[in-house]
Amino acid sequence: MTTTPRHDELGEVQVDLDRPWNVVVWNDPVNLMPYVVYVFRKLFGFPKEKATRLMLQVHNDGRAIVATGPREKMEMDCFRLHRHGLWATMERS
Amino acid sequence: MGDDGKIVRGPFRSVAGQVELTMEPWESDALRAVPELLESVGRAGADPGADRLDQAPYPDDPQAAAEFRRLMADEIAQGRAADRSAFSLTVEQAPHGVTLSAGEAEAWLRVLAEARLVLAARLGIDEDGWEDDLPENDPPVALLHYLGWLQQSLTETLEDHFT
Repeated sequence: MTTTPRHDELGEVQVDLDRPWNVVVWNDPVNLMPYVVYVFRKLFGFPKEKATRLMLQVHNDGRAIVATGPREKMEMDCFRLHRHGLWATMERS
Repeated sequence: MGDDGKIVRGPFRSVAGQVELTMEPWESDALRAVPELLESVGRAGADPGADRLDQAPYPDDPQAAAEFRRLMADEIAQGRAADRSAFSLTVEQAPHGVTLSAGEAEAWLRVLAEARLVLAARLGIDEDGWEDDLPENDPPVALLHYLGWLQQSLTETLEDHFT
């Protein structure tokens, strides 16, 4: 019987699929700070304070995680950020 | 990130859920050239402007990046074309100003952002602080600053709609 290792493998795959993804926004020298704050507020519904804090994190640290969740939803967020010209990538949470 | 200053206000203002833009004739001439600029964007790999717009959301996974592109590229291109068309139609309305619906104002905002990214990429701008280094009277640099002024003014105007 070979069911035990197979179950283990499936278990690992399952855990991997369930692991959330992050959307990361990177600093760029062109988009203006108020514009980035506006896009965060519009796309994610963040209050102004949170959007500003994330914008400053992008500006000072070079990057910030702006969303975490299931891969398909995060890809949609990434797409919407790209549509607004922000530099955004996906990474494993 | 670019930082062209603090509160600008500038030529946009919010009027009953719409956005009014007043401009000088030279401004409408400059703005008419913007869709043309965006239509001139070539292929990724051959035009730094295209490289900046055509993003790889999975930098370490070319296969996932290709799949993302396969699913999203058409939608991105169609969205951009629709924005450009809304921008062109409204900029043609009047030489001294236009009134934009909320949707048109959003299209303007994306067109301004896209145009600035293309201009900056073609100028080789890849670090903060370029505002102090590049000559402001160089036409593409001047256009970059001008469109930034509009981006800031329009952003401030649209922010009023949140509250």
